[in-house]
Amino acid sequence: MENRRSKTRRLFRPNDYVVIFAFVVIAILLIVFLSPIFWMVSTAFKDKGEYFTYPPVYLPKKLDFSHFFRGLKLGGAKGIQDTLIVAAATTALSMVIGSLAAYSLARFRIGGKHFAFWILSIRMMPPVASVLPLFLFYRFLKILDTYEALIITYTIFNIPFAVWMLKGFFEELPVELEEAALVDGCGRLRAFYKIALPLIAPGLVATALFCFMFSWNEFFFALILTRSNVTPVTVVIAGMIGGHEILWAEISAVAAMASIPIIVLAIFLQRYLVRGLTLGAVKG
Amino acid sequence: MEENRRASFSFNLEKQIPLLFVLPCLIVLLAVSVFPFLYSLWLSFSKWELGMGQRSPTFAWFSNYARLFSDDRFWGSMENMAEVLVFGVGAQLLIGLGVALLLNRPFRGRSWITTLFLLPMMICPVVVGCNWKMIYHYSYGPLNHILGLIGVEGGLNWLGSSDLALPSIIIADTWEWMPFVMIVLLAGLQSIPVELYEAAKVDGASRWQVFWYITLPSLKTIIIIVVLIRLMDTFKLFDLVTLLTQGGPASASETISYFNYLTGFKFFNMGYAAALAYIQLAIIIIIASVFLRFLKKEEGG
Repeated sequence: MENRRSKTRRLFRPNDYVVIFAFVVIAILLIVFLSPIFWMVSTAFKDKGEYFTYPPVYLPKKLDFSHFFRGLKLGGAKGIQDTLIVAAATTALSMVIGSLAAYSLARFRIGGKHFAFWILSIRMMPPVASVLPLFLFYRFLKILDTYEALIITYTIFNIPFAVWMLKGFFEELPVELEEAALVDGCGRLRAFYKIALPLIAPGLVATALFCFMFSWNEFFFALILTRSNVTPVTVVIAGMIGGHEILWAEISAVAAMASIPIIVLAIFLQRYLVRGLTLGAVKG
Repeated sequence: MEENRRASFSFNLEKQIPLLFVLPCLIVLLAVSVFPFLYSLWLSFSKWELGMGQRSPTFAWFSNYARLFSDDRFWGSMENMAEVLVFGVGAQLLIGLGVALLLNRPFRGRSWITTLFLLPMMICPVVVGCNWKMIYHYSYGPLNHILGLIGVEGGLNWLGSSDLALPSIIIADTWEWMPFVMIVLLAGLQSIPVELYEAAKVDGASRWQVFWYITLPSLKTIIIIVVLIRLMDTFKLFDLVTLLTQGGPASASETISYFNYLTGFKFFNMGYAAALAYIQLAIIIIIASVFLRFLKKEEGG
């Protein structure tokens, strides 16, 4: 008995209780934080009778994938397609324009510190302040409810992000490599795309994925600048909730399909997450 | 001769490269952001009630800004905003710091657990809204069911009562953004030099002392940055309000950005909406400059 007791004492030193306590807290928090996600996934598989009942059904009886297809038919497919087009075009545009500007800012300090901060401040603007003039502007150009309107809008807000992120990556790159190339008679443009760009490839990929993610998740501008012609998936989901009859299983299915690509991207980006979401303020 | 001219031409082009590289960025930002901003600044001094059939704006001095002061709905939305800022961002900071401290020790599966904690933030915000709409549902939602199991009879009318609508939004917002605060603070914790902790251990400092005198001061800068980012984002809070309550019941959970949206795109009072937007811009600039001053002081000292 005595012996066993000392053994347990050896197994659980006072410090270990703290560790065990920490694990229990982590486990409880994890359950609390993940249960809403569990609810979404399980609802996507529920039968109509299973989501309008009391007590609520936590686990559907069978895995019914039909809601995914019905959800796609109810606008989900068009939504995902439109979101994909807008996000891809926005990302490409912001990356081309952003990387050139970022290179110039990092290497030549063009315009000094103020110019860089001015670019950043555009991203800080509250969207409500910019949506009104943009709306009137697009109405004047007759491009409301088109891909162009969303692509232009998202590009405006992604360029400052891309410039700041890429500026950071370029600044971390030693100048000597490009200088050597310049001495060898290579032009600045070639030095830029043959040497500097390939060397920051991971940074480029991370920045591009962030731009894609921001455009994918955007709702405010999408809601105001589109009607029926272009329907990004976020607007489709919001519309399904506002509808006459709320089809929770179909909504959850579309919601899950709209979230999964972004979750995968974000997990992929985890190393750059802190840096991206703080605009490089915290290097992580 | 020919050769020479080409050389001088390419030399000039080479010299202009810094400018040429920023030119596309400059043009896009000037054309589609600065111009509209100036236009809406002018609009904020104009009367343009598109909803009342007024076809073009007329100059109206400060009438839109004057109206703000007597508009109860505006002040109500500001009050709601302040509540979200204090309680929402406050809760995110406290829980985020707690979880970051828990995760800031080496154990098996730590990176997986960190990733799991990040999931709420990775989900598209509209999906977060639709998810919580189900959870809060008065009769069929799991939240009221679970509350019933632990003895809260009858359930709470989360989204439908004016007392609970705003707290519901705050809870959902905290759920979504705590992970962001957590991961940034975790990055901050991991950049604290180990020597500091070792020195404290040698001096026989208690856990609490280590936290109070080493961890917290080292995190100060990062806490300022993360709170600033969250404050600015919370000002934009729109998705959750739209999906969960649409500002209701009445305007109990209307935030400033949602009220602004209604003014511009439901009531079509363009001049007033522009003035509202500029007031927000002014507040954001003030908050940001206060924080940046703090930051400078921290970095200087």
